[in-house]
This record gives sequence, structure tokens and C-alpha cells, in this order.
Amino acid sequence: MLKETGTNFLVRSSRIFKSSLKLRIGIILFTVLVISVILEPAINNYRLEGHESTEIGVYDALLPFTFEHPLGTDHYGRDVLALLLTGLKYSLFIGLMAGGLATLIAVSLALMAGYKGGRLETLVTTFTNAVLIIPLWPILAIAVLFVERADLVLIIVILAFFSWPWACRQITPQIASLKERPYIELAKVSGLRDLEIMFKEILPNFLPYVIVGFSYAVAGAIMAETALRLVGLGPGAIPSLGLLINWAMYTGALAQQHYVIVLSPILLLVLIFVSLNFINIGLDEVYNPRLKKITGL
Amino acid sequence: MRPTHLHIIKKVLLYCLIFVVSLSAFFFFINLVPGDPVTRYVETMRAQYSYSIPVSDELIQEYKQAFGLDKPLFTRYIYYIRELLLKQNFGPSFVAFPKPAHELILTALPWSIGLLGFSVIIAWVLGMVIGTIVGWKRGTGLDHSITPIGLIVSQIPPYLLALLLLMVLSYALEIFPSGGPYSAHLERGFTLQFVLSLLYHAFLPSLSLVLVYVCAWMISQRALVINLLGEDYVRFAEAKGLGSARLVNRYILRNTLLPQTTGLAMSLGFIINGSFLIEWIFRYPGIGYLFVTAIMAMDYNVLMGCVVVSMFFVLLANLLIDLLYPLIDPRIRRGEW
Repeated sequence: MLKETGTNFLVRSSRIFKSSLKLRIGIILFTVLVISVILEPAINNYRLEGHESTEIGVYDALLPFTFEHPLGTDHYGRDVLALLLTGLKYSLFIGLMAGGLATLIAVSLALMAGYKGGRLETLVTTFTNAVLIIPLWPILAIAVLFVERADLVLIIVILAFFSWPWACRQITPQIASLKERPYIELAKVSGLRDLEIMFKEILPNFLPYVIVGFSYAVAGAIMAETALRLVGLGPGAIPSLGLLINWAMYTGALAQQHYVIVLSPILLLVLIFVSLNFINIGLDEVYNPRLKKITGL
Repeated sequence: MRPTHLHIIKKVLLYCLIFVVSLSAFFFFINLVPGDPVTRYVETMRAQYSYSIPVSDELIQEYKQAFGLDKPLFTRYIYYIRELLLKQNFGPSFVAFPKPAHELILTALPWSIGLLGFSVIIAWVLGMVIGTIVGWKRGTGLDHSITPIGLIVSQIPPYLLALLLLMVLSYALEIFPSGGPYSAHLERGFTLQFVLSLLYHAFLPSLSLVLVYVCAWMISQRALVINLLGEDYVRFAEAKGLGSARLVNRYILRNTLLPQTTGLAMSLGFIINGSFLIEWIFRYPGIGYLFVTAIMAMDYNVLMGCVVVSMFFVLLANLLIDLLYPLIDPRIRRGEW
């Protein structure tokens, strides 16, 4: 294989970036979300003058929109915008970590299954499909309910444990098709070991599919986590976007027509899901040129 | 034996196996998670009612005995599976003791099946139809206006859409009721008024599922149709002057039916995940509502029962879809698969 230099990689990335509008939209949206998460401590520290965003009673309750509080304050006198940023931070962090762990599980399984093929592949595919058929969220909810002291790490591990099948289903068929390519045959003939072929030849070439699997797993993990928090499960000290919605619902924000408190975390979550999906579709267009030519969107 | 029969027997056995295996996996998983339901239940009760009474081991032991949770794991497993498979008995409810959990579940079940069955079928059929039209008219204004909306809506989790619909149509505009299965002042019975009230109350929960999945199936159907339109045999059929109705029916819909049916079967579990929350959001008294209220009350046997029942119905639905395959796919009828 050719050694890639830094500039080469940059050139290639920018070409991929330019070649699909959806990929561009997705990446830009997601980058904006990530940047606001990175800036969260600084912004909140500056705006709240050293208070935590979750601290109760810092301001008056239910203030209208002003320059100081662009989205007002909630029933407990907390700045809604500051809470949103904190919520976004936890939601994204949990999603990325759980998604990463899930992808790791999925890639190892898929590499084994797809490359070895035969019985093992059938076994892994059947197992993945069986797990996918079963409604997993209720099981996840019971697990979180009965676990003593559900903390951040535990939540991430449990979420990963439940979201790897999504990534696995994206990745396994791709490996199966990759291993039929001539250069893999060549590598085999030239006496490389299985592990070497997997990591040196196959892995770099199916990186885009890993990214797609990863973003499916991230979306799945955030979806499951939000649902858990919505019904009040999980650590109450970690305010992710789902818990913000739960708080708003329980204080009767809907009935009292304080819609922004409910609406804003929902819209942020929608933004996360849409940006991840656009990245997926964009990558699909770039790496399946046939699809792009046909769909022409 | 005819290939179709062989297919049926194979599938029935496979799903029985999957059910028993996933049931066992679920049982052991829940029981091996550190933390035990009775201690948590007693602790919660204590936190709610009386801080003064200390949680004694005796009290916990007593509860464990009452619910049969004091025996070794494997004995309990055998007992649970035997009661479940032979008597459909999930054990007593913690909260509504001594009412058995299966009574609660049986009252909730028709609501869920009605809501879900109806929504899923409507969404799938509509998605197929709209997707075919949009794919057929690819590149036109219709395509460019519907497809981006579909792409975005299909990515919103149904429970978030349910919250949005609840907020706009029920709280802000006050067009639809905010929850419940039917108007509280109506008597249950087969009257026009009651049926209308049922439909009126089911509309929003159903709409949140239908909207998302219409979009999802429309997008996948559109991609399938456009792919097929590029195939040589479709081009040939077009070139020899086949009418578009016949072309769409025989050449395109037929060939998308198989992957779309598989897609439907694969996504059922996921749809049920979302429906649990939707029922809770709209206080719709199905399995999902029962489950979430049981979570808050820590009602162990009801929780287990809800999961087992939803597992059973997902697998049953998958089996039914698999049994339809010989109708869709002639290769199975001829025994080539």
C-alpha cells in the first residue's frame, strides 16, 4: 500500500468533503454542536458568573426573554440557555462514548465474522439480527432501574452493550464484500497472517463504513439515553437533554405554556440526529458513486 | 414434503428457539445485574412513606419469600419458565399485590396491539405508495420538495415527535386531547360516540408513529425504486413500450416488496421501543404505559412480564411476516432457498 503523507490525507479529505452537499451539511452542523460543547464551560462561567447551570434559585423563576437570559429561566430559576449547553454536553459525551465502545465491539465482531466467513459469519449475523428484532429499550430500562448507583461510566457501558447491533449490521456485509477483492487474495497468497490482513489491508479500506456504523451507534445511544432520562431513570446529577425535558414536563411547563423550556432541548436533539444522518447519507453517496449517480440529489 | 411446508416448519421452530433463548438471556441478565429488586423496592417505599422504620434484613427476607425471590437463581429460572410457558403466569404484582401481573398485562395488551398494529400497517403502506411515486418522478419538483422533508422527519425519534405534537396540537392549539384512551364521561360500549372518542384519542399517539415511519419507508422505497429503474430489464420493458401502470406493478413494486417486508420485520422491535414512551406521554393505557408506571413503582414482576409479552409479540409478528414470504418470493415456493 502507498504511504499517505499528511497533505495527501488533507487533500483527499477535502475532496470527499466537497463532493457531497449532505455530507457538508452534516459535518458543519455536527461541528457547530461539538464546538458549543467545548466552549460550554467558558460560556456558562462567563454568563452565570461562576454559578453552576444546574444551581437552583440563582435567578428569579420564569423570567421572560431578555439580553441576560435569551431563553428566559425555568421554574427553579435556572438560565435555560446555560442548562441547554450543559445538557448538550452530557448528551453528546454519553452518545459519543457509548457509540465508540459499541463500534469497537461491532468492528471486532464484524472483522471476525466477515473475514472468517462460513459458520462464524452465519452465527454472528443470526445473533445480531435476533438481538435487533427484540425490543431492547425496556430491558435497558430495567437494567438501569435495578443497578445500584448508576453513574456516568456505568450508563455508558450499558448503553454500548445495547447499541452495538446497529453498528454491526452496517459493517458486517461490507467486510464480507471487501474480502472478495483481488488485493486481499494477493495478500493471502503472499503469506500475510490473518490478523495482519485484517488490520493492514481491510481496516483502512472500510473506515468509511466504520464511521457510518459509529454514527448509527451514537444516534442509537443518544436516543436510548434520552428515552431513559425522559421517564426519570439514570443519575439525577447528570443533566442530559432528556432529563431537561423530564424536568420541564414535571414542573408543568406545557400546561403553563412555557413552551420554550420543553421545545429547546427537543430541537437540539433533533439537530443531533439530523446531522448524524446527513453524515451517513453523505458518506454513502461518496463511497457508493453508483448510488449518487442514480439518486442525483 | 412441499418446499413451502418445509419453510413454515423451519421458521416456526426457529422462532420458538429464539423466544426461549432470548427469554433465558433476559432472565439471567436482569438477575445478574448488581442490585436486587426487593431491596430497591423496600428502600423506595421507606423513602416515600416512613423514614423512621429502618430497612431490616428480616423485612427484605420476608418480601423475598413472598415473591419467591429467596431461592437460588437456577431454581427460580426453572420455576419462572415453567410458570410462564405452562400457565402464562408472571407472578404477583408488587404494587397491586396479590393481583397477578398477567391480569394487568392482559388488560393493557389490546390497547397496544390496536394502536401499534394500526399505525405500523398504515405507515408501511403509505410509505411504500409515496416512496414509489416519488422514486418514479425522481428529479422533479415533487421529489425535491418531499424527499428532504422525509429525510429529516424520518430521523426524529417518534417519542420526541409525540412531545412536539402534544405541545402544538393539544396544549397550544387545543385541537386534540392531551391523553387517555377515551373521554372520561363516556360509558364503555359499542356506541358511535364511544368509537369516535376512541379514534379521537388515539389520533395523536398514532400520528407520531405514522409520520416518522411513513417518512422512513418512503425514503427506503424511493431508493429501491430508483435503483430498479436503472436495471437493464426495466429499461428493456420500458423500451418495448410497456404501460407505466404495468411496469410499476409488475416490475417495480413486486421487486421492492421483499426487501421492504424484511425491513418491516427488522424494525418492529425498534418501533415498540418508541411506542412504550409514546403510550406513556399520551397516558394511553397499553403495555408501554403499564411498563413506565411499573418502573416508577419498581414493580418487578410486571416489568418482567411487559418485556416478555412484547418480546413474544415481536417474534410472533416476525414469524407471521416470514410465513408470508412464500407468497412474495417464488424462489421459496420452488424450494430454491
